Amino acid sequence: MTDAVTQSVTVPGENGLHLVPCSLIAQSASAFDCDVRISKGTHSVDAKNIFDLMSLNAGHGSELVLEAAGASARDAVDALVALFESGFNGHASRSAAQESH
Amino acid sequence: MLFGAESFRIPQRFVSVDAVEAELGRFESALNLVSTSLEENERLARERLGDQYGAIFGAHRMMLQDPKLRNEIEGLIRSKCFSPEFAASRVLRNYARAFRNLGNPYLAERAADVIDLEKRLLRALLGEQHPELSHLTEPVIILAHNLTPSETANLDRTKVLGFATEAGGHTSHTAILAGALELPAVVGIGHFLTDISAGDIVIIDGNSGTVIVDPDEETLEHYRAEALAAESQSERLAALQTVEAKTHDGERVHVMGNIEFPQEVAQCRKRGADGVGLYRTEFLYLGSDHAPTEEEHYNAYCEVIEALDGQPVTIRTLDLGADKIPGNHREFASEPDNPALGLRSIRLSLRDIDQFKVQLRAILRAAVKGDVRIMFPLITSLLELRKARMILGDVIEDLEESGVEFKRDVPVGMMVEVPAAALLADLFAKEVDFFSIGTNDLIQYALAVDRSDQAVASLYRAGDPSILRLLRMVIDAARTQGIPVTVCGQMSSDPKYIPLLLGMGLRSLSVTPLAVPEVKDVIGHLSLADAEAIADHAMSLDVARDVENYLRGEVTRLLAESEHSETTDSDNRE
Repeated sequence: MTDAVTQSVTVPGENGLHLVPCSLIAQSASAFDCDVRISKGTHSVDAKNIFDLMSLNAGHGSELVLEAAGASARDAVDALVALFESGFNGHASRSAAQESH
Repeated sequence: MLFGAESFRIPQRFVSVDAVEAELGRFESALNLVSTSLEENERLARERLGDQYGAIFGAHRMMLQDPKLRNEIEGLIRSKCFSPEFAASRVLRNYARAFRNLGNPYLAERAADVIDLEKRLLRALLGEQHPELSHLTEPVIILAHNLTPSETANLDRTKVLGFATEAGGHTSHTAILAGALELPAVVGIGHFLTDISAGDIVIIDGNSGTVIVDPDEETLEHYRAEALAAESQSERLAALQTVEAKTHDGERVHVMGNIEFPQEVAQCRKRGADGVGLYRTEFLYLGSDHAPTEEEHYNAYCEVIEALDGQPVTIRTLDLGADKIPGNHREFASEPDNPALGLRSIRLSLRDIDQFKVQLRAILRAAVKGDVRIMFPLITSLLELRKARMILGDVIEDLEESGVEFKRDVPVGMMVEVPAAALLADLFAKEVDFFSIGTNDLIQYALAVDRSDQAVASLYRAGDPSILRLLRMVIDAARTQGIPVTVCGQMSSDPKYIPLLLGMGLRSLSVTPLAVPEVKDVIGHLSLADAEAIADHAMSLDVARDVENYLRGEVTRLLAESEHSETTDSDNRE
């Protein structure tokens, strides 16, 4: 909890956080050792879990808060912010796939 | 021709404690297998279609590898001794349901992805590749160990010429559905699949209940002629469509249809039925993996009512066992030795009152649009009936308070299908607006014969004197109290029982839509005096075989007597 990092993001893309974006977020978050959570209002979920992410039901334009705690918290949040800003497009998915073990 | 084609049936739900470790291993290898095939799909899709398509399979793989999902499934196998198939299906279906309930149409569609994953896992676990019934490209006859009612309902009528199954009985839902879909079918003939190989010529004779494998030229010729004769017979009967059902001395008899799906109303109307005497609502519960919503009920009922255009429809509330129903009904399910005597039908509705109210609300709302009656199945005691009526009263109050448009004075009737109810028919008649005698269950319960068990199926006799007495008690009780009584069930679709039923005093029958013209035809050949004499004589016989032989002889005589002037080409069979 010492190094908690938070940052807010806006959901891009007309379909919101659907299956593929959720899988990319989960893949990307899983690459870091720290706890990563995403919340919409009071609903907070584990960013490494694709099913939980989908249950956020975050549509286009939703305001989400990214929160990470632990050694690599800053890097994890930065990676996810980059993913949101890229609009979850193809190249992000390939780099995420390469990172996963 | 197709072999054993069916969607996934989970062979067993539970495994023994000793087997848990082995089952976990089996689950692990299935996961790996699916994971590998998804990776392959992902690679192919990326190469051929582009990254965004590959990403879909990547997401599927991500779901599959989700540690939480895996823990949940393994947890069920470990702690509850669920089979991997059952555990995986249950967990994934829960997720699918959760997505559907999020209220976001795009996410709701993702439930299909989850279900797809479930299928892949089950396929890997069961180690079988099933040909898809939904992708038939040429005409086939389906030969399978078993077909579920929903598989039967979804058969492509333009491709499937008929089917035969090893399991099931002639009054099972699958058989009833085959009749409804007008498909030649033989259900429950015992082991035969091992005697056939793909490509053999097979004849399905639904009339005699036989399957002929590799017939000789003479037999083929005979059946080609039969098929032609059946066609011209159905043309002759079609001419009866606009004729009201009347005995030849002018007594009006109402012949209605039994249906399961809204689309069958058209088949009733095409054959000149006087409405729908039994609308089974089970399919609302079977087709999907969640309990039907009020709107789903309401839309189905409205479709039927509108298609009937003013003709009456009797809607029967849920008539299924708890074990057959998806969604939250499952919490009531046990593993009974004897489901026919277990928690089912009205008993289940009275236990799961919320679901029952959903159905009743939808019926009352839809009733505004036409002539609707409500019918409770499997009523056994007066207390059950009173409880069901009380819940209906609550629903009426709720609807009144919410200001929704509905009909409050819908007639309420009951199925008489348990011998206890038949014996107390005089008491029940004072508390309902009508009776409908469900002969299939009445016979099964009175004679203690499971009609789907091939070993005892021949003991299931509608002509048993005990059945005749029960029928007479119910019909007399209805007459004394002045309420209408109908017979639904297969007995009323069988021509030889028509004179008996009319002679006992029935003026209303509800039959499978296909049988409507034939039943009307038989009625037209009868006078009331004939019918009463036949009923009296049948009541005096003491064994089922004699009753049935007598009735068969009488109906053949009646049809032949007045038919010698007509030219028919269908009576020269033997």
